[in-house]
Amino acid sequence: MLTSFRWLQELCPVDADVHEVAQRISLAGLEVEAIEEKGAGLEAVVIAEVRTRTAHPKRDKLTLVSVFDGEAEHEVVCGAPNVPEPGGRVLFARPGAVLPNGMEIQPRKVGGVESSGMICSESELEIGADADGIFVLAPDHDALPGTPVADALDLRDYILDIGLTPNRPDCLGHIGVAREIGVLFGQSYVPRKVPSPRQTFAAGEAFASGAPTVNLEPRWENGSTSVDAPSLPSVSVDIVDGDRCPRYGAALVTGVTVQPSPFWLRYRLHNLGLRALSNVVDATNLILLEWGHPIHGFDLSKLRGSKVVVRLAKDGETMATLDDVERTFTSDDLLICDGEGPVAVAGVMGGADSEIQDDTENVLIECAYFDPRSVRRTSRRLGLHTDSSHRFERGVDPQAVPSVLASAASLIAELGGGAAATTAIDSVSVPYIPNSIALRPARASRLLGSTVDATESERVLDAIGCRITDKSDAAITVEAPSWRPDLGREVDLIEEVARVRGYDQIPTAVPRVHPSESGTPEFLRFVAALRGAAVTSGLYEAVNYGFVSREELAHARVSTEAIALANPLSEERSVMRTSLMPGLTGAATRAQRHGAVDVRLFELARTYHPNGSALPHEQTTLAIVLAGDAGGWIGGDRHYDFYDGKGVVQAIVDRVLGQEPEIAVGPVPEFMHPKRSAAVSFAGESIGFVGEIHPDVGDALELAGRVVYAELDVAKLDAMGREVGPPQASGLPKFPAVARDIAMLVREEFTAAEIAEALSEGAAGLAETVQLFDLYRGDQIPDGHRSLAFRVTYRDPESTLTDKRVDKVHKQVAALVRDRFDATLR
Amino acid sequence: MAEPDAVQTFENGLDAIRGAYAQALSEANDEPSLRLINGRYVGPQGELTQLLKLMPKLPGDRRRELGQLANALKQDVQQAFDHALEAIHRGAREAELTGPALDVTLPGRWPMPGRLHPITRVRNDVLEIFMSLGFDVADGPEVELYENCFDKLGFPPDHPATDEHDTFFIEADGAPNPHAVLLRTQTSTVQVREMTRRQPPLAIVSPGAVYRRDDDATHSPMFFQLEGFLVDTDVTFAELKGVLTLFLRRLFDEHIAVRFRASYFPFVEPGGEVDMSCVFCRAWEGDRERTAACKVCKGTGWMEILGCGMIHPVVFENVGYDPEKYTGFAFGMGLDRIAMLKYGIPNIKLLYDNDVRFLSQF
Repeated sequence: MLTSFRWLQELCPVDADVHEVAQRISLAGLEVEAIEEKGAGLEAVVIAEVRTRTAHPKRDKLTLVSVFDGEAEHEVVCGAPNVPEPGGRVLFARPGAVLPNGMEIQPRKVGGVESSGMICSESELEIGADADGIFVLAPDHDALPGTPVADALDLRDYILDIGLTPNRPDCLGHIGVAREIGVLFGQSYVPRKVPSPRQTFAAGEAFASGAPTVNLEPRWENGSTSVDAPSLPSVSVDIVDGDRCPRYGAALVTGVTVQPSPFWLRYRLHNLGLRALSNVVDATNLILLEWGHPIHGFDLSKLRGSKVVVRLAKDGETMATLDDVERTFTSDDLLICDGEGPVAVAGVMGGADSEIQDDTENVLIECAYFDPRSVRRTSRRLGLHTDSSHRFERGVDPQAVPSVLASAASLIAELGGGAAATTAIDSVSVPYIPNSIALRPARASRLLGSTVDATESERVLDAIGCRITDKSDAAITVEAPSWRPDLGREVDLIEEVARVRGYDQIPTAVPRVHPSESGTPEFLRFVAALRGAAVTSGLYEAVNYGFVSREELAHARVSTEAIALANPLSEERSVMRTSLMPGLTGAATRAQRHGAVDVRLFELARTYHPNGSALPHEQTTLAIVLAGDAGGWIGGDRHYDFYDGKGVVQAIVDRVLGQEPEIAVGPVPEFMHPKRSAAVSFAGESIGFVGEIHPDVGDALELAGRVVYAELDVAKLDAMGREVGPPQASGLPKFPAVARDIAMLVREEFTAAEIAEALSEGAAGLAETVQLFDLYRGDQIPDGHRSLAFRVTYRDPESTLTDKRVDKVHKQVAALVRDRFDATLR
Repeated sequence: MAEPDAVQTFENGLDAIRGAYAQALSEANDEPSLRLINGRYVGPQGELTQLLKLMPKLPGDRRRELGQLANALKQDVQQAFDHALEAIHRGAREAELTGPALDVTLPGRWPMPGRLHPITRVRNDVLEIFMSLGFDVADGPEVELYENCFDKLGFPPDHPATDEHDTFFIEADGAPNPHAVLLRTQTSTVQVREMTRRQPPLAIVSPGAVYRRDDDATHSPMFFQLEGFLVDTDVTFAELKGVLTLFLRRLFDEHIAVRFRASYFPFVEPGGEVDMSCVFCRAWEGDRERTAACKVCKGTGWMEILGCGMIHPVVFENVGYDPEKYTGFAFGMGLDRIAMLKYGIPNIKLLYDNDVRFLSQF
């Protein structure tokens, strides 16, 4: 909320500058996000008197004006239509002046005539919104030519932008902020009486037909002139749905003249972010900014039947609001109606038909307390967030109604030159009951970790406006002030004590944390380890949004049975992903477009799967993508392929489980290459897959070249890890090993794994390892064949192997392979 | 069967070898040629080897004497060979040590380096600090029930406190309550879940993805938060201050100043926000000019870093704890924001674009 420091100082003067005040209220919860100085930087803009005014020789719309700025006369070419007669005073930017928009005023020729300086409008000086003409001082203004504009128009102020939390509706008006400043600076805030309207009239009970009334006079300072009551029909108020409108008040001002507001009022509204419209409307806005309590002005003549009915709408009922939009209501929306139909949406916005017009004479001022939840629902349903709804939905002060009415009636009568009725309607359907709360200083001390005594408690509670109703050694019982709906229970009062004292005045301590039996779930530690393993294996970690488009899922040929958002920001992010594949390969696609030669990414994240219960199954998956150049040392130009993926998967699994997974032909998802992919399993349990992406899918995803992709099911991996347990050590071998190589020519159909297995089998328990170390196709190798060379390492754990024994076993092994695979030994 | 010629031949042979070997070996200038020359004397077909084969033919009275001579010569040859070999090795090493250097600027051979995402790095750092203080880590679902995200945390119904939580709801055709399921807007949901599941004392931190319907220059519709809370008998606001001050100093710099401001979150009371010294202008160092010019803290020297407070009794009541018996504190922070501060990341969108050029920087 924007607040005027000047206004705050008028309401509760404290001996502190704007920065001190801003700092103190910020620490106490009214966070000042910005401070803007007003009226500064206008030193070279002064009051000047028009001396002569003649037509421009060439241009119709321009006027040649001679002005006197207190020191010299200046010839100025002015484009405004409202240059005053000689003697009139204007705002003059001297040559060299810099306007708030950064423009420097230089002597220049306009239409061939030299112009020196500039006569300014409100908007050029950013002191108002009026850009239609230059600013002309009122004839009775006492400023002399040469007076700086900031002094003449009293522009100096600071505007504090306070980021208010929704628990503090009391600070949505200057009175509330001033009261808070008083509390924090140890200065009591004294609510001031409102200046009396110049003219009042005693309407008595005649004004309100049947409704309860309140006399406004005691809230006014003395000194108004009483005039005869005008002959107007009396007004009735009927609150049909009392729960939604616990209190409804209305005051009457007659005989007003609607016209533009004086400059001070327009300037104040402008600085506080509101547009000045007319004196009556501006007055209602000023009251809103002062009290934080929205009020509404009706043109009494437009209230059919002189009746106010507060009731819920009928489903489908319609009305045009002030912004000229036809609104349709539901039976949950509270309306203000006259004798025939709706005239306002309660607490949100007035109706177009009953608003204050230029010819309005009699104003009925509404000041009510509406149910916050009701206003909020209606405001959200209509998508209509207004200064009014913003306050009502946070909760205005129900007890302030008579004071606000008195203040509003006085101001409108003053500005409009009318007379205010001394009696106002004050209809209460649900009486206000203050919250009664007990504060135990001992409890406050225990919660804060710092001694809070009864004296401090009492002082703070009193300062914030609580009424102390009972005191004992153990507790202070208070009634919370009506403007603080956030004070509901003891802990709220403890916060007040802490806040007013200042959080910085509470000591710091380090707690003894009791370690839990269960500690951090193993799964979470495992996930962290898995990320580490993926990074160690050369992968960059990606983080994608959890949502994707259904189309992406379809393109990727993964499940489109997805959790859908009811209110997505866009179609691209409208369903929760069922696979990490689209997101991760999307990153690869983009990287390829940027010309990245080597893309190797992983993502460890959740996918979401509907499962018939309230919440979907969230599965954690590790996904890997490799695309582009496999690299190597200088000059290696090899594309990533299946074996790179396999290697990464082996490395990762080995790093977290201490053993390699099995990778074999097996079922893989539809989006994988049917001939260049494999299933990954561990101890017989399927844990994922690895391979190249199906070329058709690759095309649909706009991937270039072969792209390697793998997924591992993290929960299963974790379970496997627990099954495998920690590594179990064995002693070192006592006898040496002997290595022998065997090379062979075999048909392609036999896999390296099955040949290796046969080699091992043939060695009758003596083969410690069998390793493929060469693979060759090409010259001298018949079609459909390949040459494979294995190294078999023999070891007998019980004795030293003799050459003779190794020769014998190696021959057996060779014979077995030759016979089983029809191999030609080389 | 002694042959007088044999003695002659033998003696002549020894003399010939003795006269030649030293010169021959010294002429070799690398190891293979040295070995070749050596082979000519002591190899299987070498002159000395051949000579020794004549031993049986020598007369018995000379055999012993000549044998000793031959053996001595063999030892001399061996010694000369060893010396020559050593000289060659030394020469080679000398040449390497004094000759041209390697081109050390050619790329090294190393395993491909991977990178953790900056959010993961920050999460690891933060978790490590809290785990060392005795906190456990916990986890919760991202697709959540409305009641866990709002009601049980004490958000009043139809209250503007939810305005900051512009929520994604899950489509629920025909369900009685269209807002029953949502994407969690805060990791505070884990408070509700863990407190419902377990009994105090509890010291838990929980990082994770959260979602809000904001997508502009400074907001991402998905981002990461970390929630922490401690519940026990007699947990105090002073301890909340102590833990968070310690945490921020360990995470950023042990010299930073930390200040607590009153603020509002429905699930804590008293509630607060925490500011720390601006880490961009290193405000704690007291260089006023640098701080005044700092665009990040706008010259204030402070930056907002987390929200916190004492757990509201209504939250305890909602999970079945006795608020008179237990007290606790809770805090929450944006891991994205911390990552951006720590690594000087200029734009939140970079965190989710997964641009390799960005990811490779961590």
